[in-house]
Amino acid sequence: MTLAIILVIAAALALIFILGVAFSRSLQISAGASLANQIHPIDVEAFRTLVDPAEDDYLRRRLPAAEFRLVRRERLRAMAAYVQTAGRNAAVLVRMGQAALTSANPDTAEAARRLVDNALLLRRNAAFALLRIYLALAWPNSGLAATPILHGYEQLNGSAMLLGRLQNPAAPVRISARF
Amino acid sequence: MLQAHSFLWHYLWVAPNVLLFILCFLIWKRGLGKQFPAFFVFAVLSAVAQLALYAADVSPSVTAKNFWRVDWAGLLVEGSLKFILIGEIFASAFGAYASLARLGKLLIRSIGIILVLTAAVAAAYAPKNGLFGIVSGAHMLEQTIYLIESGLLVFIFAFSACFRLRLARPVFGIALGLAVSACVHLATWAIAANGVLPTDRRGVLDFLNMATYNLTVLIWFYYLLVPGKVAVSPAVPLPENHLDVWNRELERLVRP
Repeated sequence: MTLAIILVIAAALALIFILGVAFSRSLQISAGASLANQIHPIDVEAFRTLVDPAEDDYLRRRLPAAEFRLVRRERLRAMAAYVQTAGRNAAVLVRMGQAALTSANPDTAEAARRLVDNALLLRRNAAFALLRIYLALAWPNSGLAATPILHGYEQLNGSAMLLGRLQNPAAPVRISARF
Repeated sequence: MLQAHSFLWHYLWVAPNVLLFILCFLIWKRGLGKQFPAFFVFAVLSAVAQLALYAADVSPSVTAKNFWRVDWAGLLVEGSLKFILIGEIFASAFGAYASLARLGKLLIRSIGIILVLTAAVAAAYAPKNGLFGIVSGAHMLEQTIYLIESGLLVFIFAFSACFRLRLARPVFGIALGLAVSACVHLATWAIAANGVLPTDRRGVLDFLNMATYNLTVLIWFYYLLVPGKVAVSPAVPLPENHLDVWNRELERLVRP
């Protein structure tokens, strides 16, 4: 009896979740035109400074251990905010790329496919990076290499700009404030 | 009205299978059969298995034991085909994106193992009926298949939603129909396999299952045959690109 109730509740929750995904899919289709406005440009130079291991080493040498942990945690929180924004931008680019996949121009379609692939890779890496950042928040003295995310984001910015130029030469998509 | 062998009962059992044959014919004519071979085979064999079971049910010459044997055979064939179909849905949804395919395969295999273990535990805790073992065994097999199936489909939807990846319309439709059917059937077979309802009231569950199967077939009709909105992008010549360099850089993200 208990098992049946658990399974019925699990099935109901699964059904609600799946129908929710189906509903959000229909909303995505209708909101497709305003996607570019949802991108939040990131100041890449500021992020680069934030993830620079030399900066951490400098702070570790200059500050007492307790103060260093406080500063390090603040920097990690800022880093997490950047990575979350990069992940959200990647999600928007996935949708933009998918919208362009049906293009009659094979070059645009291929550029769109690569953009989607790159954006998915960045979103995946952003998720892993966030995990590492949150782990580092628990142990602020541990090392953290978030630099690869930065490289990925820079490449994705170029990828998005290429697709933007292909679709609308007058207004390319920019996902970095400085690049 | 909700009685076995009523007009509604006959209609709900036969109609979706006839519709499935029509759907198979139409998707074969449109070339979708080659695009989704597992779905095509699944649809044809499911319809055949269900109609064979219906014939066994209404034919007075078929004994109760033979009816349940036919049911078992159909279940085993349909169950195997469902997992092949889920593999096809997964490959169609994520196979084109190298960045996701490997992670997705790793996750879906892990989740599959967890679901099999959960289903085994659920089956072990279900009440056993020694007198009608073939019947309770069939109920348990249904519960096991639908538990694993709905879990895998929820994973596919969650994985695509997590990456904001929109599945292609036919793939989405096939997955949606299968998922709606799996969730409702999981609930009904959990009730049946665990003896929550008395035997004389279980007919309601049959009606719910059959109505859901009708809905599933209609979902497949809609998503496979009705064209969706198409976004038209202007064609512009491709300038010099650096995508290969970008891809190399992004590879460093995966293996820094």
